[in-house]
Amino acid sequence: MSEQNFNTVPLHTPPLSVSSSSTEQNITGSWKYIQPAYHDRVAPCIAGCPTGVDIEGYMSLLRDGELSAAMELLQCENPMPAITGRVCNHPCESRCNRANYDGAVAIHAVERVLGDMILEEPLPHWTMRKHDERIAVIGSGPAGLACAYHLTRLGYNVEVFEKEEELGGMLRLGIPGYRLPREVLDSQIARYKAMGIIFHTGMRAGTDIGWPRLTTEFSAVFIASGAHVSRLLDLEGDCSRQSLRSGLDFLREVNAGGRPDIGKHALVIGGGNTAMDCARTALRLGAEVTVVYRRTRAEMPAIDEEIEDAAREGVKFEFLASPEKLSGTGGRLQLACTRMELGEPDAQGRRRPVPAGGEPLLLEADTIISAIGEDTGLHDLQAELADAKLAMNTWGCEKLARVFLGGDVAGDERTVASALGAGKRCAIYIDRQLRQQHGEDIPEERLEAIRIGGSESLSMARWTNSDPIMRVSPQNDVVQPADINTAYFPREPRHNDRHAALLKSFEESNTGITTRDALAEAARCYECGVCNECELCRIYCGEAAIQLDPGSGRFVIDLDHCKGCGVCTAECPRGALVMERLANMD
Amino acid sequence: MSQTIIKDRIPENELLMGGHLACPGCGGALAMRLVLKELGPKTIVVLPACCWSIIAGPYPQSSLKVPLYHTAFETGAAVASGIRAALDIQGQHDTNVIVWAGDGGTFDIGLQALSGAAERNEDFIYCCYDNEAYMNTGIQRSSATPWGAWTTTTPSKHPQATDKKDILAIMAAHRIPYAATASVSYPVDLVDKVKKAMSIRGTRFLHILAPCPPGWKFEDERAIDMGRMAVQSRVFPLVEVEHGTDWRFTMDPEHVPVQDYIRAQGRFRHLTDEQIGHISDAVDYRYEHLRDLAERSQAKV
Ligand SMILES: Cc1cc2nc3c(=O)[nH]c(=O)nc-3n(C[C@H](O)[C@H](O)[C@H](O)COP(=O)(O)OP(=O)(O)OC[C@H]3O[C@@H](n4cnc5c(N)ncnc54)[C@H](O)[C@@H]3O)c2cc1C
Ligand SMILES: Cc1ncc(C[n+]2csc(CCOP(=O)(O)OP(=O)(O)O)c2C)c(N)n1
Ligand code: SF4
Ligand SMILES: [Mg+2]
Repeated sequence: MSEQNFNTVPLHTPPLSVSSSSTEQNITGSWKYIQPAYHDRVAPCIAGCPTGVDIEGYMSLLRDGELSAAMELLQCENPMPAITGRVCNHPCESRCNRANYDGAVAIHAVERVLGDMILEEPLPHWTMRKHDERIAVIGSGPAGLACAYHLTRLGYNVEVFEKEEELGGMLRLGIPGYRLPREVLDSQIARYKAMGIIFHTGMRAGTDIGWPRLTTEFSAVFIASGAHVSRLLDLEGDCSRQSLRSGLDFLREVNAGGRPDIGKHALVIGGGNTAMDCARTALRLGAEVTVVYRRTRAEMPAIDEEIEDAAREGVKFEFLASPEKLSGTGGRLQLACTRMELGEPDAQGRRRPVPAGGEPLLLEADTIISAIGEDTGLHDLQAELADAKLAMNTWGCEKLARVFLGGDVAGDERTVASALGAGKRCAIYIDRQLRQQHGEDIPEERLEAIRIGGSESLSMARWTNSDPIMRVSPQNDVVQPADINTAYFPREPRHNDRHAALLKSFEESNTGITTRDALAEAARCYECGVCNECELCRIYCGEAAIQLDPGSGRFVIDLDHCKGCGVCTAECPRGALVMERLANMD
Repeated sequence: MSQTIIKDRIPENELLMGGHLACPGCGGALAMRLVLKELGPKTIVVLPACCWSIIAGPYPQSSLKVPLYHTAFETGAAVASGIRAALDIQGQHDTNVIVWAGDGGTFDIGLQALSGAAERNEDFIYCCYDNEAYMNTGIQRSSATPWGAWTTTTPSKHPQATDKKDILAIMAAHRIPYAATASVSYPVDLVDKVKKAMSIRGTRFLHILAPCPPGWKFEDERAIDMGRMAVQSRVFPLVEVEHGTDWRFTMDPEHVPVQDYIRAQGRFRHLTDEQIGHISDAVDYRYEHLRDLAERSQAKV
């Protein structure tokens, strides 16, 4: 439509006034003081995942039916989804923006289904050697396996030294088979072997292979030796009896196939994962089980589901009871406990138990299992560890550190997910270190840019520049519940995983959800913070100012005509648009 | 209501241009854009005086890519009747003629022209975009203004004292082939109704609620939210009626309390909880009545 001046109207002017130009020449965009911008942001689940998995990313791919891309994205960050899908304490779910609407997305259940599918798949083609360097990993728990996995994918030659005859660390020694079937663990480890990771079992670092050899033959060493020394229970009386057992030893024996006779009644002392596993294992050996814990249910460090499952299976609990004295004759044991109450919070904010006075609680049992925690006990490597810790404090990079550590031994939160995150983090540090030695300049900001939502977790997809989601502000901007427009999400209850009937058997107790339910569950994901081209912004724009750019496939805003009403941002279901103040308005 | 379905069901036609003069967040501008998406380029718009007279742009501009006739306030339906007749004489039966009028131009001053055209069953679609007052001239009350609302002519001390006129029932009483309510907040329902109207001949009537940020006193970005709450609270149910007798609900979204809708708008700020309670009762009563109509219609089939 051409612009016409009043004076130049043609002679054959029609008998009524007819428009001859469009309103597009009016720069109504000048009315605004704020303007919308597409900002892909970080979903809270991802920010809450110690492993740093792009959960929102793979959920979105699943929704689009891109199953293999979803599996690849998951494996890019998590070396063992079939395992975390079963045993992870899933902090992602407690942060899910859907949690307070109609229930968090059952992320772990979806992850498990995908993880099991991955185990069925042939290995993808990412195991190419690119570097000459050899790297030693000490310990084959989740931290060590994760570091080895990521370094191998990055093209390094990795050798793992494990003092036990079998691989897996606490995944095998601690976590019982009814929670993590050994076939799953074994096929996961078989894949690492197929990737080319070399495993040396029965090789204890420090003795079977000396420290000098490790540091000269290998370009870098990652220590992930875990925490394996059961803390001792300090009791009055004779504690040397057969029937007072350390929780870890007990689990190791049963996990290795042993079925010890523990009598009719077992007491388990402690409130962590080890205690819950001991209790449920003792139950499966036919005993009646009571857990004795100094504080209350709320302070128990064990994963919530574990506690619930223990209670559901019939484990009884004595809270606010602190074991003091052991006595007894024959097979029967008596345990006297002081009654406690909760006092002031300790350094971690947990309320400290203090004696409440009154009569002691007397308990009887055939077996008492002590599961009050584990220490690292790596005395032979003390000096090296101190060195490594120092180096790690500076992102493991300022000094040309060659020793790194992570997982339980490094004081990380004692979960599989944290161990996996630490293994990945150190793999990235080592990669950076070695490439810098070859003259590449990789500034520290590069590490900052791959941090997820301001957390400790690093993104391997971003490190390798293979992030399928082009986030504009990837670092720290986490989507809040208030950023979600729930009008676009009809309420739909979450698919909970199914528990086998109370068999009290050593078969897997949680049977998971079906593939179909997993896909339906993935579709419940809000896809927080990342535009998935739902086009609501464009549909609701009263200025017709939002159009799809065929070139980039992204939406572009005609700022000459956007009046800054904010409807697009308010209606965006997932907080992928934000209103920004115009610079000249400040 | 999956979002993929929403985008797949909104036609690509873009017949509204930027640079128009509606306020930021105007439901009326968006209503026109969505309705024209379905109608397509072979459409003539008849426009009695209203906000849209301004939105269309100052002479010699136009914000529409289809012809638009500015007409006198009370004449929308009469002018459309004439244009339809002229097109029919030319054999252009496939050109859509629509009236685009405000609530003042429909419920009040344009009502006799509309009633006459409906009586003759003139062949056009009459769209009333309802912002519940005379907004163009500075927020004066109309017979579409809800009970209790503030306007410049019904100040908070003497707010609107009459009930909103039931225009859909009035049109249904003319037994026109198709009449429906619609909302910019339910775009699929809206375009579906336009599509259905296009498939019918005779007088078709669409009553589209168009939230108005300055007139209702709410934040611009909440325009869609306001329209959504109007429907969810059942203040503005989405229904259609064929031949004046067959009533049907077209959407039954999750319910929200009337209170939420009322309290979100400055024009109702002076109302007490008790007064809102009365509004809520009236809403329930009307909703029950609609449900009876819909159930009776259902039973007939
Ligand atoms: C009973 C129990 C149940 C648990 N349940 C859960 C759960 O459900 N979910 C969860 O998230 N977390 C759970 N945890 C915690 C979790 O298992 C650990 O946090 C995690 O395994 C730590 O991984 P890591 O690699 O640091 O150490 P580990 O898994 O302990 O692995 C360390 C490995 O290093 C080896 N090693 C040690 N010293 C040497 C040496 N000098 N040379 C060579 N090898 C050496 C060890 O033999 C071991 O294989 C549980 C822990 C226990 C004990
Ligand atoms: C006969 C006549 N009286 C008064 C006016 C002034 N006038 C122009 S638009 C308008 C208000 C229109 O109200 P409504 O139809 O509700 O449309 P809105 O502006 O609210 O969109 C009035 C009173 C006029 N144009 N013609
Ligand atoms: S006053 Fe209301 S109806 Fe009129 S242009 Fe502004 S927002 Fe739209
Ligand atoms: Mg009006």
